[in-house]
Amino acid sequence: MERRGIPAVVLGTDAFISLGRTASAALGLPHLPAVTVSHPIGGVAAADVRQRADGIVDAVLTALTRDPAPVEAAPVAETVSGPDDLDAFQEFAMAQGWGDGLPVLPATRARVARILGRARPDEAVATLAPRQGIATLEAIAANAALAGAGPEHLPVIVAALRALVHPRFNLFAIQTTTHPWTPLIIVNGPHARRLGISGGPNALGNGSRANAVIGRAVRLVLQNVGGARPRSTDRATQGHPGKFSYCVAENEEASSWEPLSIERGFGRDESTVTVCGSEGPHNVNDHASTSADALLHALVGTAATTGSNNIYLGGEPLVILGPEHAQTIAASGWSKRDFKRAFWERARVPLSAFSGENLARFAVTDPARFRGQPGDTMIHVAKTPDDVMVIVAGGPGKHSAIVPTFGDTRSVTVKIAE
Amino acid sequence: MDLVSPTGTAAIAAKRLAARRSSLVGSRIAVLDNSKPNADALLERVAELLVARTGAASIRVWRKPGASHPAANHDEIAAAADVVLTGSAD
Repeated sequence: MERRGIPAVVLGTDAFISLGRTASAALGLPHLPAVTVSHPIGGVAAADVRQRADGIVDAVLTALTRDPAPVEAAPVAETVSGPDDLDAFQEFAMAQGWGDGLPVLPATRARVARILGRARPDEAVATLAPRQGIATLEAIAANAALAGAGPEHLPVIVAALRALVHPRFNLFAIQTTTHPWTPLIIVNGPHARRLGISGGPNALGNGSRANAVIGRAVRLVLQNVGGARPRSTDRATQGHPGKFSYCVAENEEASSWEPLSIERGFGRDESTVTVCGSEGPHNVNDHASTSADALLHALVGTAATTGSNNIYLGGEPLVILGPEHAQTIAASGWSKRDFKRAFWERARVPLSAFSGENLARFAVTDPARFRGQPGDTMIHVAKTPDDVMVIVAGGPGKHSAIVPTFGDTRSVTVKIAE
Repeated sequence: MDLVSPTGTAAIAAKRLAARRSSLVGSRIAVLDNSKPNADALLERVAELLVARTGAASIRVWRKPGASHPAANHDEIAAAADVVLTGSAD
């Protein structure tokens, strides 16, 4: 609007206006006027919110009729001097806003050069919202160095970043949401085996260096280059532990179905990274069922919940089948497509399970599914069977996991460059 | 020790704000509701108060398609408004 010559003012709550300021700065308008009321305005009576307008109308009028003071942007240094002592460096890195709370390793010129190898440092891989930060290979390598990654991990990290900036992923919204998401990085193909990215026992947990450093490096790039800083621009209400690192290989050997990369049109000899805007995994325990049909009870009961982002926004909930559950389902003669259809058909809740206030909201945001429907209408956790994502990961045991997503995001798969 | 900054640089060209108005007398106020809960209540009430206090002429409300998507109809709003009130985040 400002570009079109129309004065504008942004209203927000005091708890969230830092996000508005980052967004306006990223548009080149750091001095765009913003006026705040006390948080929250959601989940309270509209009459209470209207009363708060009295207290800000003068500030809004000033914002539309008086030129704001200009704001100088701070220059960004490419080289920074830090303490030599490794323990002192930890405090320094956190004060700079570079860390995630766990120890980081210094991104010295020599370590960054070793990770880069023959790659061009100034090659721009992606422009990352909300800061519109330019992820050059050098900046990515600096974050990889902080995360403890080596040169062999860089192509996977770079591929993940290329996937994250695809418009379908909706990076700006997801980087700044209150929802607890982080990119789940799923690796398929020969690269996963070559780098030792675990898709076996405890694959979503600790104990594998490749999983840990790849997921962590991507997360640090999103924070440091993308500008999604915890507690300021990253507005997560609670977050989740995967925000330290969230990377897994598909256990292709343990699956009798085609892996995710083949489903998405890549070849057996190609390696891919898929990024999903994911919540943490929720366990599905079933030690007794011996058929696909029986196993679905626990799987759909864990997935179809009234507080899920997927159930009202859509998107792609992910089912991570443990190998033994996957084998039980395949042994019933079901293809992956059969499973997706049956899962979609049964993972649903009646409209009457939602609160009246939530239904009023959903009727506005998604009238096709929620407006004017009877209470016994069944709402599916995904809009179509094809929106259900399925991979196989893990080791021996009778567990699977449901991983909901932010909803207003789509997973993106890209090939890892050789 | 010398360290490579992990922040990189940002692709931002500084832009100018639109000229502010000397008063709101006769102006058309656009409300761009960002679709967050109760944003409409706050934005529309502020617009009503501005009309009452300043002699602004009218209020027209647009709504973003969803809180996590940008508005698409900037040109339409710009053609129909002299000032814009909008919301950011929650």
